[in-house]
Amino acid sequence: MRYTRRAITILTLTTLALTGCSVEKDGGDGGTDASAQCGSGKEFLIGMSQANNAEPYRQVMNDDVSTAAKAVSGFKVVVSDAAQDNSKQVADVENFLSQGINLLIISPNEAKPLTAVVKKAYDKGIPVIVLDRKVEGDAYTAFIGGDNVAIGKAAGEYYAKTLLPQGGKVVEISGLPGSTPAAERAQGFREGIASNPKIEIVATQTAEWLREKGQSVMDAMLKAQPDIDAVYAHNDPMAEGAYLAAKAAGKESAIKFTGIDALPVPSGGIKAVEQGRLQATFQYATGGREAIDLAKKILVDCSKDVPKSTTLGTTQITKDNAAQVYTELGGKQ
Amino acid sequence: MNSPNPTTVAASPPETPPRRGAIRLPKDRHAIVDNFFRFQSLFGLVAVFVIAIAVSPSRNGENVFLSSGNLANIVRAVSEIGIIAVGMTFVILIGGIDLSVGAVLGLAAVGSATLMVDSGLGIVPTVLIVLFIGTAFGATQGAIVARLGIQSFIVTLAGLQAARGIARMWSGGLGIPIAYGDGPQEAPEAFSLLSGSINGVLPVPALIFLAIGVGALLVLRSTAFARHVYAIGGNEKAARLSGVPVRRVRVTVFAISGLLAALAGIIHAGQLNQGSPNDGAGYELDAIAAVVIGGTSLAGGSGSMGGTIAGALLLGILNNILALNNIDANVQLVVKGLVIVAAAALQRLRPRIA
Repeated sequence: MRYTRRAITILTLTTLALTGCSVEKDGGDGGTDASAQCGSGKEFLIGMSQANNAEPYRQVMNDDVSTAAKAVSGFKVVVSDAAQDNSKQVADVENFLSQGINLLIISPNEAKPLTAVVKKAYDKGIPVIVLDRKVEGDAYTAFIGGDNVAIGKAAGEYYAKTLLPQGGKVVEISGLPGSTPAAERAQGFREGIASNPKIEIVATQTAEWLREKGQSVMDAMLKAQPDIDAVYAHNDPMAEGAYLAAKAAGKESAIKFTGIDALPVPSGGIKAVEQGRLQATFQYATGGREAIDLAKKILVDCSKDVPKSTTLGTTQITKDNAAQVYTELGGKQ
Repeated sequence: MNSPNPTTVAASPPETPPRRGAIRLPKDRHAIVDNFFRFQSLFGLVAVFVIAIAVSPSRNGENVFLSSGNLANIVRAVSEIGIIAVGMTFVILIGGIDLSVGAVLGLAAVGSATLMVDSGLGIVPTVLIVLFIGTAFGATQGAIVARLGIQSFIVTLAGLQAARGIARMWSGGLGIPIAYGDGPQEAPEAFSLLSGSINGVLPVPALIFLAIGVGALLVLRSTAFARHVYAIGGNEKAARLSGVPVRRVRVTVFAISGLLAALAGIIHAGQLNQGSPNDGAGYELDAIAAVVIGGTSLAGGSGSMGGTIAGALLLGILNNILALNNIDANVQLVVKGLVIVAAAALQRLRPRIA
């Protein structure tokens, strides 16, 4: 007993002594050789810090960055994957700084935890382009991202004018509760359908962005709502899941499905539209190409005047333009 | 008459089982080999360090890996896992496992943020409460393992779920940002020191890891508690019969693991300026990896704290040098898997002393 106590006491005391001791705050290590001089005909190393490669959207973002960078001579891109871990992403950025990158592109996992390390890079004189998700404050060079409210609104207007002009019953399959894209895609949709009072949202269920949950949620809704006219899903995988459930119930031709994201990959929404499972999808651009365009302006053209914030528009994809958009976005066959 | 000579067997003194404490002088080849296996993680650490220097990219003629900034990044990045792994070593030494540590880290991070930002508590009460929660959580798991005789894998798997659930309920499912200042809804400025460093070189989390590691090394080297831990891991029945308070040691070991996971959570919140209920997901596996690479047997009873510390550092250096060389993230995962298997395989090859 005494010894047991002693063991835990030693560890507790060290723990407490340490958390109580005060030290000087890190003032940065005063990097001197921040980024190489800009100009053409030079080699530039660009660090791309990705939040989570396991999401198809983010994989496409990486591909867009890499593909666009290949077209610029002198650009070399290295990509890191934080696997959804804020700590790992901080370490990833620090590794980039050790390597002496000339520009940082980051799609942060979460805003607050990444703010400090992004500021550290920015304060060292390294241009930072923030993609899709923001960081706090303004210690970055530029932000590029989509507007989820606008995308939801575009979807809603499509329902009001094209898909259900005579009105009808819509079920909404929403993204992860608490996530901003889910809230914004829901809000925008309601604004979009407001012009057609005959459209009614009869049920909203979450499927947490996941295809398999979209399927099981739709299963349940088909039983509760026998006469659904359309399914508005916050992303393409959930729309595809809902389609599978309807197909199992023999109702897939009576119901119209739409999604959001429109990734130019074989498993993405554009192909689903082309093959007739979805009526439409709305592009949520990755910003990858735009980021490299901006990087070129900063590094090669020596432009000091880049827009602090760029909002990307959306493209509506229906059967008419699916094949064409797929090719335009560099989709692999 | 023709039977094999029984007296020789009986005469040979029984080898004192788990070895710890001072390094035995190698008296013969067996001892040399044995010492190699005992300190495999140290050799591994040195080897990986040397390789890292050799394959490091250089920048302006300077070895990037060896730059003080980079070395500081490595120890900073590894310190949370390292602290958890120290606690995990005790648990694994008694033949158990603690899967709840990552979730307890998340719970502690949420607790730190909530108590300081929402409840307006100072640093000292916050740290005390959070460490108490972690210790109590661990002790409860230990008590269930010890009293009900359920395998720790199951108990801490349940604990993982429960701790995540509590963290999500406490935070409302979202990360709680920590802003610093004197006003309401702000944490004391001093808490941000956890993301700072001493003289701009040694990161504070690394210092804490170092101190915890040394503390645990001393505990494991020179206390009766440590002898009990090894005894239980080696042969629980024998330990009980020779008067080791098995249940109490069990509870203590899990309490230590919970305490250290909570400490890592406090550091996590301080480093990232946020407490999120999803923090620390998968950290238990990294900590187990560090312990295994450190040469501690998952069967319990044999292993060392120095090994674990070396194992954690080895993993950190490996992560760093792969990243510095821009190895594809997926390939990095495969390499880490191979290293873990190699370390475990070395342990299997370790000669048993007859």
